[in-house]
Amino acid sequence: MKRRTLLAGAAALRLVAVIRPASAQLREMRMVESGGKSGESIDVGYAAPFTAKTGIRLVRESPGNLGKLQAMIASGRITAASFELGSGTMVQARKLGLIEKLDWAAINPMPMFPEAKNEFGFGYQYFSTIMAWRKAAKAPQNWVDFFNTKDFPGKRAIPDYPAYAIAFALLSEGVPQDKLFPLDVDRGLKKLLSIRRDISVLWKAGAQAPQLLKDNEVQYAIAWSGRVVEEPDLAYSFNGGMADLSFICTVKGAPKAEQEAMNKLYYEMSVPENQAKAAGVIAYTGPSPALDPLLPKDKIGMFPTAKANKDVQWVQNAEWWAENGESANKKWEEFKLSL
Amino acid sequence: MAAILAERRHGFGFVTPLLVVMLAAFNLPILYMLALGFWSKQGGFTTEHYAALFDAPIYLRVLANTLRISVVATLVNVAIGYPLAYWMRGLSPRAQFIAVACVITPFWISILVRTYAWIVVLGNNGMVNRLLQWTGLTDAPVSFLYNELGVMIGMANVLLPFLVLPLFAAMLRIDDRLMQAAASMGAPPRTIFLKVFLPLTMPALASGALLVFILCLGFYVTPAILGGGKVPMISNLLDFLINQIPRWEQASAVSTILLVVTLLIFAAYRALDRKVGA
Repeated sequence: MKRRTLLAGAAALRLVAVIRPASAQLREMRMVESGGKSGESIDVGYAAPFTAKTGIRLVRESPGNLGKLQAMIASGRITAASFELGSGTMVQARKLGLIEKLDWAAINPMPMFPEAKNEFGFGYQYFSTIMAWRKAAKAPQNWVDFFNTKDFPGKRAIPDYPAYAIAFALLSEGVPQDKLFPLDVDRGLKKLLSIRRDISVLWKAGAQAPQLLKDNEVQYAIAWSGRVVEEPDLAYSFNGGMADLSFICTVKGAPKAEQEAMNKLYYEMSVPENQAKAAGVIAYTGPSPALDPLLPKDKIGMFPTAKANKDVQWVQNAEWWAENGESANKKWEEFKLSL
Repeated sequence: MAAILAERRHGFGFVTPLLVVMLAAFNLPILYMLALGFWSKQGGFTTEHYAALFDAPIYLRVLANTLRISVVATLVNVAIGYPLAYWMRGLSPRAQFIAVACVITPFWISILVRTYAWIVVLGNNGMVNRLLQWTGLTDAPVSFLYNELGVMIGMANVLLPFLVLPLFAAMLRIDDRLMQAAASMGAPPRTIFLKVFLPLTMPALASGALLVFILCLGFYVTPAILGGGKVPMISNLLDFLINQIPRWEQASAVSTILLVVTLLIFAAYRALDRKVGA
């Protein structure tokens, strides 16, 4: 009974939401994204040309997570037209019916890497999970070295996200990059446990990894590439790193006018010149295969999609994580309790 | 008599708006969230979310870990807070004012900032470790952070005012003449403290400790940062279930169990309190 009243209330709110934008021409629309420099790069690279052409202002909000998106849909008050989601989260959002199918014919984008052109999302930003270390520490060549705490002594910081940590332990065990999935979670956690004395921190926020390295709290870290490549005291390697994509998705039930405007924004996001501008703000790159020549020559090694880097990395398997994420996370909690 | 009742009814009118807001905006959504734990995907009543908790007891183990850390943190707070309040009682009024200000000031600084401040103080390159190495007390840096010790220090810092302030207020109310009377009967200072002073502060100590304990259960930022992610607490788990997966039904079941455990502890405290009172 209570649920029904709530649903009725939600329907009433939805009605209000529909009436509001129809009454005037679309002046602004909202996007929920991850904020910080990444958000700035959206402004500089994509929102600026979009606003110049359409007159519609893009208002950014951060941070966002799947819970917030689900709450927005459940309440029936769609306050943002688009939402930034990680690759795994996007698959979950699709399964929960929280995002719209994209009309790629209407977007008509410039050429882009196939994995970025998803049925339900625009893969706008490549980021890599890679190894980084203090320049003073002995440089590892690969993941075998990274997990060899005897010959490469020092404390480690690893992500407190199973999807960004377990696979590297398996690589160090000699599992080939193309045979990682289906992921052997138990074997990966066993390997991580074997070096537990040297795991100092499990980090949650991307900014923690470079800070821990700079403060000499740890000497080696698994970190997100954009956070470490421009730090003068730190060294890094893309070898065996994991390429992943952040997606911008259209929120289910967003007003028609906003959905159409989003298509225009998606087009701007596919233009290599715009992507180069965004990459100038944060060292993550867009999905255009024609981007390399537009990037600064001296910094080319920092970017996840630079040819030399893209070739030595493997791509995250979002579908597998969407399917198995919850059970893997239970094992992860168990692993943390035994640290 | 009738006048008093009328007045009461009149006063109730002023409270009604707040009551309605609390009920509609706070209590109803909470009830809704709790009910979610019994809601199956197909609609209708189910206990599957609770059954899942007992099938894979990892969530319950995290809850047990949270309870254990909360107990230890509460004891640490009592061990630091009681002597502090006792010492403050003996100060001159002006010194008391300064001491209370020192205890309260951290309240005005965000928990996040305070937590990160501990990294500057206690880190491998932090002030304390540099001092220890400079004086030759240790060769290698001592690991204060990224373990349970770090979490304890951080939690004690955040929670101490919640214990010290009510305790200090209760101690101030104790009549000095009671201790003087005991002394005049020949009781040594130890006996005076144990038989007179301590029992008089017991109710404030118990309720302060209970408050600290319940606040501990919900700690999120401090364990995540100072524990280096290696000290799992129930609220971090709830964040995962609510925001990352999202599995609100499962989160609701975990929350309900947490609520029940908290209420049981509270009931035990009340029962004990009444027994002591009688």
